[in-house]
Amino acid sequence: MIEGKKKIFPVHYAPGKKLFHIIVTLSDAPGSYSSILDLVRKKVNLIGTSTYTRNDGTAIFSGFSEALAPTLTPKELEKLIMSSKAAISAQVSEGKDGILVDTFHTGFVVGDEEYILMRRDGLVHVFDRVSKMLGSGGDALLFEEGVAMGMRNAEMMIKNVGAQRVRDQTMVLNRFLAAQGWGILEARGGPGKDGFTVKVVDCFECSTNGSSRKGCNFMRGYLAGGAKATFGREFDATEAKCRLRGADACEFQLRPS
Amino acid sequence: MRLRSILLAVLPQTTLIFLRGMVPVLLFTLPIASFALVAESTGDFESMASQLNRKGLKAQAPAAIVGKSGVKHEFAFALTPDSGKTKVVVDTELSVGEVDEMKVLKFYVKVFDVGPEKAVLCVCPRLGERAATLAKEYGITVLENDVPRKLIPMAEKVVNEFASG
Repeated sequence: MIEGKKKIFPVHYAPGKKLFHIIVTLSDAPGSYSSILDLVRKKVNLIGTSTYTRNDGTAIFSGFSEALAPTLTPKELEKLIMSSKAAISAQVSEGKDGILVDTFHTGFVVGDEEYILMRRDGLVHVFDRVSKMLGSGGDALLFEEGVAMGMRNAEMMIKNVGAQRVRDQTMVLNRFLAAQGWGILEARGGPGKDGFTVKVVDCFECSTNGSSRKGCNFMRGYLAGGAKATFGREFDATEAKCRLRGADACEFQLRPS
Repeated sequence: MRLRSILLAVLPQTTLIFLRGMVPVLLFTLPIASFALVAESTGDFESMASQLNRKGLKAQAPAAIVGKSGVKHEFAFALTPDSGKTKVVVDTELSVGEVDEMKVLKFYVKVFDVGPEKAVLCVCPRLGERAATLAKEYGITVLENDVPRKLIPMAEKVVNEFASG
């Protein structure tokens, strides 16, 4: 399988199409999800779906869909879904003028932590503006913010899974950043004298070209902060290669101070 | 290096002239004048650094200092003894009108990263009210004068007092 970007659907635009957002609360039991899918697939083309369990024995099915027949109404769809024994409640919202927005969810949760979603290049442009306004001081500021966030995120991870597991499974946990779109981290080395070399493919910080910045100071700080919280010692972080300086990927060196 | 800076300062305004005809002549002349003032100040900071070096102090003008973050910052002048801990940094902000708080902030973040014992901002002609409040809050020593050249001896005095004290 080729790794790629996950598609999620807080919004969808399909001019001329009759769009529905289907939300179903269902019993968290084997077969519930498939019974809902069996019902709705006769009436709609599902564009994107997600399911997740809740702590009260129920689960949520959320699906963006296009009606197969132009006469289909949200009420008809709700009635159809509620004919399933697995369905506890159903809510179908219709898009307007080809625009369908998720009006059910109010953010994202990973574990117990709330997340927000923003455009990748939106954040990169914030970094660009900080660097442009404050010059080299702006780059230092981005580094400091990276350190602070790297430390905090590592501390949260340590709290959740334990310090030793974070140390032992650094390579595995790096995939967590990749899954969030930060970039694909490939780390070599260890916390000893020679430290780590971390290659970041598709690093978000330099994903938009045209920046006046010459390096990824936030990511450099993030890695230094994360290493500090994980291994309990200071690391000096340098960026040997960066896409902003013509390389194919970023490469950071982390050496114990 | 200086020639490159001149070219960079002049080129955008030259383009404006081609694009818009006569009107931007003022825009063209102001940066040139400002640049001349900056160049003059830089030159004087170099003399100041030479004098201080003769006295056995380790001064640089301009100075490139790597901060705690690993980012390299440039200052008009810096006093960095052999011990490596920067004692004093000096920067200049020259403007046609009052210098705004963004310039103070820009200086402060560099200072924060380098962590000198004293930070001096030479301003021509003067800081705006909010900028002055910010500079005071950040503990920045501000020297103001309508004549850029006069800022050099003022800065020299402050640096000498600090170095001897």
